[in-house]
Formats: sequence, structure tokens, C-alpha cells
Amino acid sequence: MPSQSNRDGKRGIIGGNNMSKRMLLDGNHAAAWSARLAKAQVIPIYPITPQTECCTQLSEFVEHGEMPWASYVTPESEHAVMGIACGASAGGARVFTSSAAQGVVFMEENIWIAAGNRLPIVMCIVNRAIANPGSLRPDCNDSLLQRDAGWIQLYCEDAQDALDTGIQMFKICEDERVYLPGIFAFEGYVVGHCAIPVELPDPEEVDDFLPPYKHKFISLDPELRKYTTTTTPRRGEFGTERVYQMQVAMENAKKVIKEVNEDYAKRFGRKYGNGLIEKYRCEDADALLITMGSITGTARKIVDDLREEGEPIGLVKLRSFRPFPTEDLREAVKGVKAVGFVDRNRSPGSSGGGIGRIETANALYSLTEKPLLLGFFVGLVGRDVMPGDVRFIAEKVLKAAETGKAEKDTYWVQLKGEEI
Amino acid sequence: MTEVRLPGHALCPGCGGAIAERIIYNTINETIGKDKVIHYGGGVCASGGMRNAELSSFGLHLSGQATGSTGISHALKVRNRTDIKVIEFGGDGGTCDIGFAKISGAAERNENILHFTMDNEAYMNTGIQKSSQTPWGAWTTTTPIGRHDNFKKDMVMIMAYHFIPYVASASIAYPADLKNKVKKALDMEGFRYIHVFAPCPTGWRHDSAKTVEIARLAVQSGMFNLVEVDNGNVKISVKPKERLPVAEYLGYQRRFRHLTEEQTKTIQKYSDNSWERLLSLDGTLIRPHTN
Repeated sequence: MPSQSNRDGKRGIIGGNNMSKRMLLDGNHAAAWSARLAKAQVIPIYPITPQTECCTQLSEFVEHGEMPWASYVTPESEHAVMGIACGASAGGARVFTSSAAQGVVFMEENIWIAAGNRLPIVMCIVNRAIANPGSLRPDCNDSLLQRDAGWIQLYCEDAQDALDTGIQMFKICEDERVYLPGIFAFEGYVVGHCAIPVELPDPEEVDDFLPPYKHKFISLDPELRKYTTTTTPRRGEFGTERVYQMQVAMENAKKVIKEVNEDYAKRFGRKYGNGLIEKYRCEDADALLITMGSITGTARKIVDDLREEGEPIGLVKLRSFRPFPTEDLREAVKGVKAVGFVDRNRSPGSSGGGIGRIETANALYSLTEKPLLLGFFVGLVGRDVMPGDVRFIAEKVLKAAETGKAEKDTYWVQLKGEEI
Repeated sequence: MTEVRLPGHALCPGCGGAIAERIIYNTINETIGKDKVIHYGGGVCASGGMRNAELSSFGLHLSGQATGSTGISHALKVRNRTDIKVIEFGGDGGTCDIGFAKISGAAERNENILHFTMDNEAYMNTGIQKSSQTPWGAWTTTTPIGRHDNFKKDMVMIMAYHFIPYVASASIAYPADLKNKVKKALDMEGFRYIHVFAPCPTGWRHDSAKTVEIARLAVQSGMFNLVEVDNGNVKISVKPKERLPVAEYLGYQRRFRHLTEEQTKTIQKYSDNSWERLLSLDGTLIRPHTN
């Protein structure tokens, strides 16, 4: 009997005779465990705060012989990390790596190559603010920077989420309808260093869920050379078509993420909404908050409080940012009067608000009846997001829903001093 | 002899890199067979050559030297396919400049890769810009009055002091020597580095019929020395019976035509000193050993 866990705070007790176990893990260690349980074979990885513990935990697993199938590589930079990841994936191995902030930015060149080559590399990004103004503490621009690169992106709110999403990510990326690399991201410290009891699934059951990696179309083995892909600069005769195929793969990924989420729930008892989004108390809501990552937990509490006070407010956790769940969001905002996107990222000079609001506005634009859309900058450059901040946001959205009018498009929630 | 390269190539007439690649590919094919090798990377003129090679190949951007190959090598290891060898090509820009950290990193980790640098002494694909391998005094489009900041970086010794199993320099003008070095390196494990001198008629401004001749003059005048460092043992591969003046080598190439007599003398001194320095290392062991 697999354990049951719901987002109403009731986590089940592990029962029966399965070999799953419960450990106290933070996000970093949970991500490392996801790579171990998924039997990642080549792990090129470079330390950077706040991802270092994921890096060192994996080296311990490999050095202590707990991952005898794996090769751990210690490159001299993140740029090399992603290059090695591309080579290893093309060479037929399952590849895991992780990074953060400056490290991700340094990888950038090869990140695009990985996606364009359709190599299903899985990377954990432990969100940290990109310099400058930088911080060791989180905001989400490092992973959101990969918005257009062709990577799948799922956001996790706690260590359990990180473990489950990490395992699922391999299955999603290696699906032949997808064959794209994937990022699962969570905020450093808030999730990355916050330990909670995490249920680790039985390794054999994970093996059953996730069979060994074999790419159907890419092989560098010389005896299969007719299937070889070379990726040297060409004139780009089929450039448009290759990009179109990536778009098709992203559309397919929406379906695959949902399937994998269902399958995982059946096997391991944990489920994350419909895979793309997770709705919380959205019934008859006039106002809706949309969050990503760890802020979701805080928002859930605020929604509970406000519901208790009789306010018609609900919450949508955006789990999948790429592919962006346009259809699901359109469905979720039916009958809703005002939506507030909580953006822990920056995009100075944008068309309005942070990256989440920009994407949501685009997703909802073609609806004939659409809600007001408010954007909120919060938690930038590692500033803590407190319940009061989220309550402030929720009240602004509720007020807009009530009055049918938004005071402003975007709010700088924690700004010290007056807006200019 | 079976040709691994298909007829015709995307490179310029008289390209030294094409000659080098042909020799190397065919030697590999004769030694272990082309079906036992995966080719990674670019090479002369941003992988212009490998497009025509009948080899299983993979490449990233040219700044990714020794990374994709490291990945492939580890993938083969975890898949128990170590029967397949990984070879890698890079130009002097990719290897000695933009990919230098990666080459150094892979050498430090002693990755199981055989690396070839195709040295044509400038960024030729983008149209003849200075690299760290451009000789002192040479014209390029980013050194329009000649390079005067420094001398050519000594990659062979830099790599030798990474204490990797095998380092060598070779030239298309000495194909037998080049072949021997390729065979020797193929037979070894770990990071192996071969630096191949490959004249570029377009960038060096010389007659495309003179490519091999110029490569030979470079060795005879001491502008490019052939050496190997086998497990730390330094050995000069070719000692010219009579060293020729550098002026003869320089005279064939219009990239040097602006040089004054004084500047030619400077290059002569550089060549003489390089040779003496190398002679003093000949036969010595530069790798620390533990036995």
C-alpha cells in the first residue's frame, strides 16, 4: 500500500512491504537522491552556492560505491559541465547535473546546444539571484533565463517535490514524443537548505517506472553510424523545421507531463495537481493567485486564512513554466474576476511586470472574457517572502476583483521608500 | 589505401589542415579501423574538414574543446564500450585560446581522449584574426602592422607540464613522423595531445602549391620544432642537419612582408633561443615520478 500524501497537510504513513523509506532531506540532497534513484550514469557537476550540497552528496554516492553504474566528472567550469553533459548524452548515457545563478549563465552557450540537439539531459537549478544586484539567496531569473532555449522547466516547492519532480523529469525528457532537456528548479536556502521528512521510493519500483535510457534517434556508436547526428555548423537548410519540431515536442510535453504525473501518483502515491498546474481552493473564486516554487506554500496558508474570513480567493501553483500551460490556465480563470501573478524575477523594461505576468497575459489575451491581471514583484535578489507580503498581494487582487478595477498593472511589493 | 575523407572538401585549395586530417584519419583507419572511433570537435576552420569524413562525429561550438569528448568518453565507459576510442580535433583558436581552460581541465583529469590541434596560427575561419599561436611579427586582420605583443604560446610544453601520458608536435611536411605519433598515441590511455603544424595559404598569404614546402621550412628554420614528450621523456623528433635562416621561411609568406631587417633578426634570435632551450631539454625527464 503506497503512502498517500495530499496538499492538505496530511501525509500518509509508509505501510506494506515496499522498500520506500523516509529521510530528513533538504532540496539539495533530495535532488541528489532523485539522480541516484533515476540511475543517472554520467554526472558532470561544478559546485556553486547554494547548489554545492547536491554536488558533494552525489560525489559521496559515487565514491562510496552506492552508484556503481555512474561516472562522476569534476570539470573546471560550468561551461565545460554542459559541454560534457551534451557529449555524454549523445554518447548514450543518462545525464544529470545541477547549477545556479552565475553557473547557469556561464553554461548558457551549451544549454541551447543541448536542446537543439534534442539531448534529454536533466539539470537541477537551485535558484539564486544573478549578479548584479546579486545574492547567494534566491530569485528565479537563473532558470527563467532559459525560457527560450527549449528546455522543459518544472518548479518545486519543497524537498519532497524536488525528489519526485527530479525522478519524473527523466521520464518526461526521455519520452520519444519529447526528447528535450529538462530543468527542475527550486529556490536556494528556502527549499535548497530547508530539511523536511522526504519519502524516498523503493529503488526497484523506480527502475520499473523509469527503464534504462536509450535514445531512439541519436547514437554515436560507429556501427550505427547511419543514425549519427553531426552538429557542426551547417548552412541551416532545415533550421526552421528543427525549431518547429522543438515546438511540437513542447506541445507533446504537456500531455507527457500529465501522464507521468498520473503514473507516478499511481505507483508512489504523490501527485502534483494535473502535472502542469495545481489548483488550490479555486471553487467559486473571484480572485486567483498564481505562484511558482516555495511561495506556493505561504500562499496556501494565506488563502486558507482568507477563505476562513469568507473571501472568494483561490490559488494556482504553476508547476510547469515550459511548456507553459496556456489551456489549463484559461480553464482555471473561467469566471474569475482578477488574477495576480507573484513574480520572483525581474525583467526591467518589459511590457508589464515580471516574466510570469508577461507569459500569463499572453496566454489569456485571446479570451473574450478575461480577468484583470495584476503583477507583483516580490522576493527579488533573495529577499524573504513573508506571509504578510503574500497577504498584501492577495488583498490587492481581491480588491480588484471586487471593484472590477486594478489600481496598477504591477506592484513592487517590498520596495523600501516610495515608487518614483 | 582506403580514404576516410570523402572526395572534395569545404576548405581552401592547398589547406594544410586538410592534408593533416587526411593523414590522421587514414592512419587511424589503418590502425584500429574507422568503425572503432568517435570523432569529436571542429578542427581546422571551425570543423570545415570533419563534414567530409566518414566517421561517427559530434560537435559543439568550437569553445567546447575537450568537453563533448569527455562526455562521450564517460558515456562509453559506463556503457562498457571502451573498445571505441574518442579522438578530438580543435583549431589553434579553439584549443589554445577560447577552449584553453577546457583542454587544461581535461588534461588535469587525464580524460581518455586523443586530442589533435590543427595549428594554422590564427583564427582563419572568421578571416585571419590573431590567436595566441600567431608568430611574433605576423600580419593578421587584428594585427594590421604585425603582432608585436608577445611570442607564440608554447602549447607543447604547457601540455607536457600537465604530466599527461603523451604530448607531441608534428607537421604535415613529415608525414611518417606524424603517422608514428598518431599510432603511438592511439595505443595509449589517458589524455594525449598532438599539435599539428598546418600552413594556411589564405591566411599566410602564400602560394597554395607551397603548403608542404613551407611546413618543411618551418621545421628546418626552427620556427616550429618537432618534439615528443612520452610519459615525461622529452625527445626531439627531427633535428635538421643544417638549420636554415628564418628569412627563407618568412620570405614565402606575405604575412611577413612588412618586416624590417631588424625585426627579422628578432625572429631569428627567437628561433635560435627556442632551439637551444629545446636541445637542453632533449633526453630529460620532466615528469615527476614516484618510483
